[in-house]
Amino acid sequence: MSGVLDLLKPRLWPIVHRRPNTATRAYVRLAIMTTVAGVLWIGIFMVSLRVLTHFNTIEEIGTLLNYKLLNMLMVTSLALLVFSDILTALSKLYLARDLPLVHALPVPAHRIFLARWMEIGFDGSWMVLAFTLPVFLAYGVVFEQGLTYGLVLVAVLLPFALLAAAISCLLVLLAVIVVPANRMKNIFILLGLLAFVGIYLAIRMARPEQLVDPEVFDSVMTYVASLQTPSSPWLPSTWAYHALQTALASEPARGLLDIGLLWSATGLFLFIGVGLADRMYFRGYSRTQAAGRKFRQRPFGTTRRRTRFTGPLRALLDKELKTFWRDQTQWSQIFLIMALVVIYVYNFKVLPLEKSPLPTVYLQNLLAFLNMGLALFVLTAVTARFAFPAVCSEREAFWVIKVSPISIRSFLWIKFGIYFLPLLVLTEGLIVITNTMLNVAPFMMWLSVLTVFAMVPGIVALGIGMGALNPNFRTENPAQAVTGFDGLLFMVFSTAFIGAVLALEAGPVYHYFLSQLRGRPLPTHWYLRTWASGLGVVLLCMAAAWIPMAMGQRRLERRSI
Amino acid sequence: MIQLNHIMKTYGSHTALHGLDLSVPAGQIFGFIGPNGAGKTTTIKIIGGIMAPTAGTVHIAGIDMATDPVAAKQRIGFIPDRPYLYEKLTGMEFLQFTADVYGVSQDVFGDKAVSLLRMFALADWGEELIESYSHGMKQRLIMCAALLHDPEVLVVDEPMVGLDPVAIRMVKNLFRELAAKGITVFMSTHTLAVAEDICDRIGIIHRGRLIAEGTLDDLRRDIAGGAPDLEAVFINLTQSPAADLPGEKAAP
Repeated sequence: MSGVLDLLKPRLWPIVHRRPNTATRAYVRLAIMTTVAGVLWIGIFMVSLRVLTHFNTIEEIGTLLNYKLLNMLMVTSLALLVFSDILTALSKLYLARDLPLVHALPVPAHRIFLARWMEIGFDGSWMVLAFTLPVFLAYGVVFEQGLTYGLVLVAVLLPFALLAAAISCLLVLLAVIVVPANRMKNIFILLGLLAFVGIYLAIRMARPEQLVDPEVFDSVMTYVASLQTPSSPWLPSTWAYHALQTALASEPARGLLDIGLLWSATGLFLFIGVGLADRMYFRGYSRTQAAGRKFRQRPFGTTRRRTRFTGPLRALLDKELKTFWRDQTQWSQIFLIMALVVIYVYNFKVLPLEKSPLPTVYLQNLLAFLNMGLALFVLTAVTARFAFPAVCSEREAFWVIKVSPISIRSFLWIKFGIYFLPLLVLTEGLIVITNTMLNVAPFMMWLSVLTVFAMVPGIVALGIGMGALNPNFRTENPAQAVTGFDGLLFMVFSTAFIGAVLALEAGPVYHYFLSQLRGRPLPTHWYLRTWASGLGVVLLCMAAAWIPMAMGQRRLERRSI
Repeated sequence: MIQLNHIMKTYGSHTALHGLDLSVPAGQIFGFIGPNGAGKTTTIKIIGGIMAPTAGTVHIAGIDMATDPVAAKQRIGFIPDRPYLYEKLTGMEFLQFTADVYGVSQDVFGDKAVSLLRMFALADWGEELIESYSHGMKQRLIMCAALLHDPEVLVVDEPMVGLDPVAIRMVKNLFRELAAKGITVFMSTHTLAVAEDICDRIGIIHRGRLIAEGTLDDLRRDIAGGAPDLEAVFINLTQSPAADLPGEKAAP
């Protein structure tokens, strides 16, 4: 065991021996991150508490419904854990940068496997567990359970996470013998996201909003409660569910067998994994390293198709397009965005406007106004995924840009240009299609199109500029850049920007429609306020486009590599 | 061609370069040697415009790197010690990228790229993704890219790392040919034999200070009292008690 712990030291020592960062910026960063995580965590807890309490009040089927939900939660958690652990295992066991060093050590393969399993168990599951914990705690509160339930929770969730990691490691160990890890990871991400998109579309098309219709709700809930949930006795999620359910029913002793099953299954999978590791792990690792491939056989020196631009613009545009399309992980993101767009448009198709007590014209235009905000939030999410990591995606090859005769300013604005056009088309497309579906007044259509046209540069510039503040060029996955502190700040600033513009426009637009509905001209002072609001919007959009780019430029110019 | 005036670089409280003054004329191969952490790579990065000095100025072909970095960089071909590249491009595409960035015309590019790839024995790999290249192949591709725009100054950090003996000989000959055409080569290296073979002048840096400079003969005669080779000069200079300056740490 000490050999395994030795292998974990490079991971543990930097945490144990870390000197506290006393810079004000570090404290501010920590405070913001903690606040956001805390708000999210409490939010999940409160919503869970509300839903579970509500279900509990339904006569006869309330408790049953809550148990069904718990079972579904355990099945979903297991699926998420295994998916997350497989991706982590592919990286940790086969693709991590420290592996050449680790495999050169005089250590048997099973020890490396064991040490990595521990890391995978932690890395792959901490987030799933952290954000399902408030739901489990809400169950404890609703079912009035105390310390015993807490102990059962720990005794269940710990082996649940470790078992998912052991299953994933074993699956990866076997699969990599057939397909090298680097290709396996791409295939798996694609398949996983396609499955997610499929489920997401299916759930949305099932129109869950009908559940808030009192006429439909009762019959649906009765149906759900009567469903024979497919809880196979072979699934670890069933054991975990049963152990928790018996604890919630104040009969924890009945769940001891399930807890025992979870721990012993973890031991069994680990035993098999360790047994196979000495025979198969090194073979798979060696095969992954040798998985260099021939790309395509264009005759050497022949002319290639190029974009019509010249100079640095063409250089960066061609590079960006080629690297994007050759990275299969990007394709899956495209599928995800396509699904998002389909759902977005579909939501407007099924809006029950006719059931509203408000006048339809008023409601249509109110929705169109709010729709601007929603479409710009979609833009923020897409910008966060694609434009924010644009600088970071240069990775360690950023020296090429630093030594070349392109100013950082040009580099950043070319990056901006590359992402601006497709993101503008996406957002304007969303706005025009949904406004057409809502059959809005021409004024609202033009207002939406122009507002979006003015705001897209600001949001894209926020993404590119803030992504240039502290890019981690050594990261293995630039797409994860947005999960850091600067990514969080980008989301906050972008949301504030959208909110500020909509707030500036709301008053004049409201009074304009009121005057139209009443058939009276707009009072003179409202004309002045409208112009002032318009000017405010233009200035805000210019500031959003210029300031983050200038900040990013300064930071990148000073940045050494 | 390369003019460094009082270059100083500090990292927090640590000073990596202490007012470095250096001048390398056109057509000269200048070898920059020194122990690990002496400040070689920091100097190379400052000359290449990757890093800004804390104080002092860098002029390339008379152009101030601080006031007109684009024009100064246009005259440099830069070869770093670690060959990080855009892995999802092919070798030929990377050269095309470089040509576009440095403004090499399309008429010139095709033939030049092909001849460079042939010269560096990469012709069979030109249409393969860079991610499938070995370390040495990436290093050779960077050399191709650095020569594509006919630079006036070649700045090279550890040129021979990862190269096979045939490539090393070819690169040595190439540097001599370039120097003969008036191109300045500024090269940092630990391979003292290479410095002895091809450098017209050698500078020895230790703990951020240029402690000796001159031709190989000058150094052997004046610094090390007739030492047989550069290795003896190097050891004599960097291991002597006089070279131990108190209170200094290695550069990052």
